[in-house]
Amino acid sequence: MTGRAACLIACVALVSSCGKDDRERVVGESRPLTTHDEKPVKLGATSDERFRDAKPAPVRGKTPEGWLELPASQFRLLNYRFGESGMGEVWVTIASGGVADNVNRWLGQFGKAPIDAASVAAMERITVAGSEGVWVEAAGEYASGMGAPPKPGFALAGVVATIDAGILTVKMVGPEAEVAAAKSVLREFAAGLELAR
Amino acid sequence: MSARSNETTETPRAPRSSGSRLIDLFSGFGLATVLLLLLALLTWFATLEQIDNGLHQTLRKYFHWKAWWLLPEIKGRLVPLPLPGGYWVCALLFVNLLLGGVIRIRKGWKHSGNLISHLGILMLLVAGGVAHHASERGNMPVREGEMNNAAEDYFEYVIEIAEIRDGKPASVQVVRGRHIDDLRDGRQRLLRLPGLPFDLEAASYLANALPVSVRERAPARGELVCDGYYLMERPEEVNAEANAAACYVRVVRRDGSKDAPFILAGASFHPLTVRDGDRMFTIDMRKRLWPMPFTVKLDRFTAEFHPGTMKPAKFVSRVTRIQGADEVGVTIQMNEPMRHEGLTFYQASYGPPGAGPGQELYSVFEVVKNPADQWPAYSLYIVSFGMLVTFLIKLGGYIASRSRKSPTYG
Repeated sequence: MTGRAACLIACVALVSSCGKDDRERVVGESRPLTTHDEKPVKLGATSDERFRDAKPAPVRGKTPEGWLELPASQFRLLNYRFGESGMGEVWVTIASGGVADNVNRWLGQFGKAPIDAASVAAMERITVAGSEGVWVEAAGEYASGMGAPPKPGFALAGVVATIDAGILTVKMVGPEAEVAAAKSVLREFAAGLELAR
Repeated sequence: MSARSNETTETPRAPRSSGSRLIDLFSGFGLATVLLLLLALLTWFATLEQIDNGLHQTLRKYFHWKAWWLLPEIKGRLVPLPLPGGYWVCALLFVNLLLGGVIRIRKGWKHSGNLISHLGILMLLVAGGVAHHASERGNMPVREGEMNNAAEDYFEYVIEIAEIRDGKPASVQVVRGRHIDDLRDGRQRLLRLPGLPFDLEAASYLANALPVSVRERAPARGELVCDGYYLMERPEEVNAEANAAACYVRVVRRDGSKDAPFILAGASFHPLTVRDGDRMFTIDMRKRLWPMPFTVKLDRFTAEFHPGTMKPAKFVSRVTRIQGADEVGVTIQMNEPMRHEGLTFYQASYGPPGAGPGQELYSVFEVVKNPADQWPAYSLYIVSFGMLVTFLIKLGGYIASRSRKSPTYG
């Protein structure tokens, strides 16, 4: 009888200790340092840096009315949404290659044939961040090449310019009608971009 | 026939005890047949189910020791056929084979082959159990010319708290996944961290989630927003390795005060930095690191692709295993793993994903620590030997009986 009572008390104690364990635990495990710990650590990272790997942008821009500013990411120094469909995007990047390479990459995303340097030189020029850039437009089926399915009825407008830090691109992609309506805003936005000194 | 002999033959047998009956049941051929059929069914259903639900999840459902019973699911539809968990079917088969195939089997040299084969099968079942309970697996990517001395667990996400000195981690404390992965539906837990100037309070663990900015998408279900981000739960991936766990955490100082909550996510690029006086710490969520007793340096990685495709035909890693002052060159390739200190390094794959000829590649090893690593092979040798003994005994008996029966001439 005494044994049964002791067993019962032990069970009750065990159950009650389980409840406490659920709310609080002592965790004392450590691990030795490894080669993984030799990589540089980014200290004081902001949430945008932690979750989007955003880099300090070498350009600043004023968000146009009606555009939605999004967090910067690893590849988008400035990042926006526009248009009623919610599918219109504008982003600013520093790209590699030359002006013609980037123009042809953009055209290629709409299935257009590449153009030569003379044709690039003949393209419309606009001012972006104090430098002169070429204005690019395309329309049709947009295939970003990032594994996303092609989007028919899309259009592109943007600028490719050479600055000190490399090639600055300002790219707008979205449904054709929305891009057509927002082109003038994009020109103003590009002209208003400033390089961070 | 005498009256006495009649009396002897008609004496009723003594009633068998329930213990003996139980042993009869557990050692019987009937049970063995049922168990083997169940194993076949489980394997068949699991093979079908893993197509939709992924290998890891299906193995857990069908063969984990916590799975007492299960309902198979084919193409999202439940099959109304309750089946016992595979682990317990194997356990019962072990008992059945031990009782029927070893303890109660007819003894004698003529049956020695059967006994040896049964012992081999028992060893195979034990190897499965040991691997289930004691094995560890992880992967280790290494670039050419670089070194690595820690594998990464495939599935377990942990919280790491590193004290930073001179810009580098000086010590790392780990909160294992089992302390946080049950914190679903808003549950929270205080994680006491001896040796650190603060504790952590973790809550709302999600097995697969993305930190989303409120500027990108407004929270739809009243999720907690921390510094402009919240956790958007995603369905678990079919390939469980691709899940990125996340949870909400807050720092609890030694004076009992609590900092603002923040997000820890597997899908993050950098850790959170926390200061306490002059001391600096980083807190991060990542897949558990598994330190190795030696370092692996990848000297050269070669991949051969089938002509005109991105399908690899062969990939070979030439590595140097560095342990203290010892440096040993080893080649690891498909079906030729490196075994050292109870660890096995398999050439598992290469990266980056989808890379093809001409691209800079890195090698990925699967690291396995399984105390029963070679036991299945040994058990197969034992079973084969037992069957050979049985065959030879039968053959010997047959030849002997033929020679006895054959007519003599002359």
